[in-house]
Amino acid sequence: MSSDVERRLEALFAGAPEPDPGAGEEALHRALHALRPVAAPRRGLRAAVLAFAAVVVLLVIAAGSLAAAGALHVSLGPKKPPATTQLSLPRGANGIAAIVNGRLSVVTHGGFRLQGLPASAAALSPHALYVAAGIGDSLVAMTPDGRRAWSHAANGKVMAISWAPDGLRIAYIVRQAHHFPYSLHVIWGNGTHDTLIDTRVLPTTPSWRADSLAFAYVGAGGKAVVYDLSHVSRRVIDIHGGDAIRLAFAPTGDALAINTLRRTVLIGKHRRLVWRDSTHGIGWLDGRLTIAAKLEGLPRGVVGFETNGRTIAVAVVEKRTIRVLAGSPGHLRTVYQANAKARCYNSKFLMRICAAPIGSLQLG
Amino acid sequence: MREPSDRDLVRRARRGDREAAAVLFRRYWRDAWRAAYAITGRRSLADDVAADGFERAFTALGRFDDRRPFGPWLHRIVANRALDLLRAERRISDEELPDTPDLAPAHATGDRSLLASVAGLSLERRVVVVLRYGVGMTPKQIAEALDLPVGTVNSRLARALEQLRESLEVEHVE
Repeated sequence: MSSDVERRLEALFAGAPEPDPGAGEEALHRALHALRPVAAPRRGLRAAVLAFAAVVVLLVIAAGSLAAAGALHVSLGPKKPPATTQLSLPRGANGIAAIVNGRLSVVTHGGFRLQGLPASAAALSPHALYVAAGIGDSLVAMTPDGRRAWSHAANGKVMAISWAPDGLRIAYIVRQAHHFPYSLHVIWGNGTHDTLIDTRVLPTTPSWRADSLAFAYVGAGGKAVVYDLSHVSRRVIDIHGGDAIRLAFAPTGDALAINTLRRTVLIGKHRRLVWRDSTHGIGWLDGRLTIAAKLEGLPRGVVGFETNGRTIAVAVVEKRTIRVLAGSPGHLRTVYQANAKARCYNSKFLMRICAAPIGSLQLG
Repeated sequence: MREPSDRDLVRRARRGDREAAAVLFRRYWRDAWRAAYAITGRRSLADDVAADGFERAFTALGRFDDRRPFGPWLHRIVANRALDLLRAERRISDEELPDTPDLAPAHATGDRSLLASVAGLSLERRVVVVLRYGVGMTPKQIAEALDLPVGTVNSRLARALEQLRESLEVEHVE
C-alpha cells in the first residue's frame, strides 16, 4: 500500500522541471559523437585472418631456417616510430604552445605550425602573435611561422615564462649556476630592458594580474609574492598551509588562487579556503576558478577538470599524471604539463586538444 | 507503424546507425535528465550528468548485453555519475580562513518542505528514492542498477521513507 509520503514523492517527481531543449541537443551531439560502431564478426573474414596468420608463421619459420643457415641476415633494432604531435586548436583559442619531448610545438588560429625546435619552456603572447621560448641559454621571441623577432642572453636555462596580458612584458625564471638555483627576471616584450626582480625564487610559472602591472611568483621560502611594477613593491602572502606550488590570478585581477600540496586558497577582498585536497593544477576558465583533480569514480590515470563542482574536461594520462594546470588572466587559457602521453578532451565542445607526449601546453 | 523496440535500436546504434541512436536518446533523455536533476538538485549539474551518462552509455554500447533492458542500465550510469559528482563536490570548501572576515556565501533559498527533506537524505538513500519514485524502477531493478542486494535497496528505501516522514512531521509541528 502506498503511504502518504510515497504519494507525495511521486507527485513531487512528476512535477520536476523539464530539461532545456538546448541542453538536449548538445547532449545528443555529444552522445552521437561517442558512438563506437562495432562490426559484426564475419566467418569469412575470420577464416582469411587465420589463413594469413598461418602464412606468416610459415614465412617466419622459413626465414629463421635461412638465417640459421647464413643465407639470410636478420637484424632487429629499436625502430620505434618518432613521437608525433597532433595538436588541434580548441574553439575560442588563438593558439597552443607546447613542449613535447623537449621540443617546441606551436599551432595558431592563423594556421601557423611550428614544430621540432629544442626548447625548455614556452609561452604565447596575447592573441598568439608571438611565442617566447627558452632555447639553449637564451630567451627567444618568434612569430608563429618561426621568424625570430629577438633573442636575449639569459645566461642559463629558462625554466618558466609568462607573458603579461598587455603583451608589453615577460616574466621568466632562469636556472643559474652561481646563485640560488633560480632567479626571476622581467623583460620588455621587444626584448630590451631586462630587470632582475628576485635572485631567490622557485621555478613556478609566474601569474600576471589582468592590468599587467603586477604578477605573482613563488619565493625561495615557498611563499607567494605579489610584485607590483608600478610601485616597485613586494607583498608576501603567507597562507599557513605549506609551500605555494601553483598560482593563478583571476581574470578580473581582484583575486589570486594559491595552491599548496593539500589545499587551494583564494586571496582577494577576503581569504577563503576553496578546496581541501591535493590537485593537479589550478586555473581560471570562463571567469571561474578551475581545479584539476583526481575525481572519485574516474579510472586510475584519469584527471578531471572541475569548476564549481562541474566537470569541464577530463584528461587521460598514461604512465604518469598531469602536473600543472594554470590559467592566465583575460583569456580562455589553460596550461598543463605531463611527462607522458596524454589525450585531452574539452568536454564542452568535445574537441580533442592533444594526443602527444606533452611537456607543457598552453592555450592562448 | 510500430515503434522499434529498445533492443532493435541498440543493435542498430551499435552498428553505427546514428538515426537509431538519436531515437534511443530522445526516448530516454527526459527521464535521465529528471533522474539526474532529482539526485543533484541543480539544473546545471543535471545537464552535465545526463549528458555524461548518455556519452558513457553510447561509448559502452558494444559491451551492453542487449538481452537486458536499456533503461535501467542507462539510469545506473546516470545515477553513478551523479553520485561521483556529488561526492567529489564535497571536497569543495567554502571555508573562511581564521584571520580574515567572513563573506557570507550565497545559498540557494530553501525549497518546498518535501524537496528540502529529500535533499537532506544521504546520497545513498536519495538515489534509491529517486530511482524508485522519480524513475519508477522496482527495488529489483534498482538493485541491479546500483549493484546492490535487493535487501539493501529495500532497507535504504524504508529508512529513507522513515526519515522523510519524521522530518515532515517535525516541520508540521513547528
